[in-house]
Amino acid sequence: MDALTLTLSTLAKIVFIMVIILTFAPILVWAERRQSAMIQDRIGPVRAGVKIFGYNITLLGLLHPLADALKFIFKEDFVPPKADKFLHAIAPILVVATAILAFAVIPFAEPMYLEHLGQVLPEAAARAGVVIPMQVASINSGILFIFAVAGTGVAGAALAGYASDNKYSLIGGIRAAGQMVSYEVTLGLTIVGCFMVYNTLLLEDMVTWQREHVWGIVAQPVAFILFMTCSIAETKRIPFDIPEGESEIVGGYLTEYSGMKFGMFFMGEFIEVVALAALATTLFFGGYDVPFLTSNGFNVFGMTANLPHVAVVGLQILTFVVKLAVMIWFQLMVRWTLPRFRYDQIMALCWKYILPLSLLNILVTGAIILLLS
Amino acid sequence: MNTSGLMLFWVSAAVALGSAVGTISMRNPLRAAVSLLIHILSLCGIYLSLKAHLLATIQVLVYAGAVVVLFIFVIMLIGPTANEQRAPRAVGTRILGAVGALLSTSVLAFTLVRHDAQLLPIPQCPPGAGAECGQFGGVTAVGAELYLGSMVPFELVSILLTVAIVGAIAVAKGKTTATSPKNEGPTTPEGAA
Repeated sequence: MDALTLTLSTLAKIVFIMVIILTFAPILVWAERRQSAMIQDRIGPVRAGVKIFGYNITLLGLLHPLADALKFIFKEDFVPPKADKFLHAIAPILVVATAILAFAVIPFAEPMYLEHLGQVLPEAAARAGVVIPMQVASINSGILFIFAVAGTGVAGAALAGYASDNKYSLIGGIRAAGQMVSYEVTLGLTIVGCFMVYNTLLLEDMVTWQREHVWGIVAQPVAFILFMTCSIAETKRIPFDIPEGESEIVGGYLTEYSGMKFGMFFMGEFIEVVALAALATTLFFGGYDVPFLTSNGFNVFGMTANLPHVAVVGLQILTFVVKLAVMIWFQLMVRWTLPRFRYDQIMALCWKYILPLSLLNILVTGAIILLLS
Repeated sequence: MNTSGLMLFWVSAAVALGSAVGTISMRNPLRAAVSLLIHILSLCGIYLSLKAHLLATIQVLVYAGAVVVLFIFVIMLIGPTANEQRAPRAVGTRILGAVGALLSTSVLAFTLVRHDAQLLPIPQCPPGAGAECGQFGGVTAVGAELYLGSMVPFELVSILLTVAIVGAIAVAKGKTTATSPKNEGPTTPEGAA
């Protein structure tokens, strides 16, 4: 592949990822409000609308996120007089940037062969021409990259708490740092079992393994439950939202933020939700895998229906987005079902239950692999 | 090294030097911690230009994700007292510091000028080799080196780390029981924090 194709294809993939993220974020805001309203038997936001020829167009409340965005942009950006202005400004950037970076290694379809777009993909030996892997970067350390980037994001919340010059912010920042550092350790350990089964750290190889064998949720059910618990704690959403806990510490480390800086924290949270959904999909639900779909087309117990390569790739991207939506829906359901935990409960859950359980999972997985080999 | 590698090296090196100076010269401890964070990220760039991919990731994972966050955590726990002005240093201390810095810099410069580092070729996988060959500096290659080539030192280090952790708990526990014997577990959310 020459440099121009590489640059252009990478740019196209980055644009695709950014579009997915930036459309999911406002829709998520809407979905969260509407879903919570349905769960609690309310109507939810439906009023914001545009008057065109006397008709009030509300789109089921979908215009509310737009109104939100306008408000964020035009609201005064207030910084407390004694706050550290520099740190106050970079904290939300750190949070959003690290949340977006995680998408760099997530594959959203199988590699695309530009020469064979219009035809059924031939056997591996007969394939020719330019191949575009459908992920922004194939990094050798694979999933470790996501953990490395996510770990840096912790600093953002802690800095926000310190820089605001506010006792509530400081308590929130300390809580956020303590909680996220603890859960980061267990988050890594919960999916070591998956690495052992898949025998790789590369996300694209994990998806390939799941396409050839079974989905990760069947191979590693315990890991899935532990992973989801840890990662919801990492996003600091209810039931793990003690760093923000409105009823105790106003808004935690967000207290002194307004305008677009608050908007960035707000967006960062929803991007983290999407990132977590993408990671869970890739690790446990076969990523872009469509059941019975091979690189050539559908193959249902011997009955085949060939599809052109471009249709296969398109179907895979579509499936990936649908799986993302389902995982996001699941997280929103958790958010509006459970009450907030106490801080000592959160810490006890992390160190006394999830950590030993994930170590046990690694031990059992290793024993089974040893027995089967 | 190719052009992009060289560019990565020079940019990372410049940022690393600047942020290192920032780390030791900033008065605000939290700003110093942020400088350290930037320094660690630019070191990661230097590792990348040396084709040590796994090491670069581990650098961010351990140092940026855990060590710096722990620093920030401790600074926040100490609170505003961490911000206090330092006492002015005596003239003798300043002169001693300057002489020390000059000496170590000249030793480093002398070594760099007199001795050229040996340039070794980076081991490449033979064409057609499978995934088990392992790209230089990648997970497979480093893992094979660590677990097949130096298993005993690795296990010794893990024993040493376990001993250190147990020792840290023992020391911390002794102090807690001496000052407040009744403090059994957190009673309030803040106590746990």
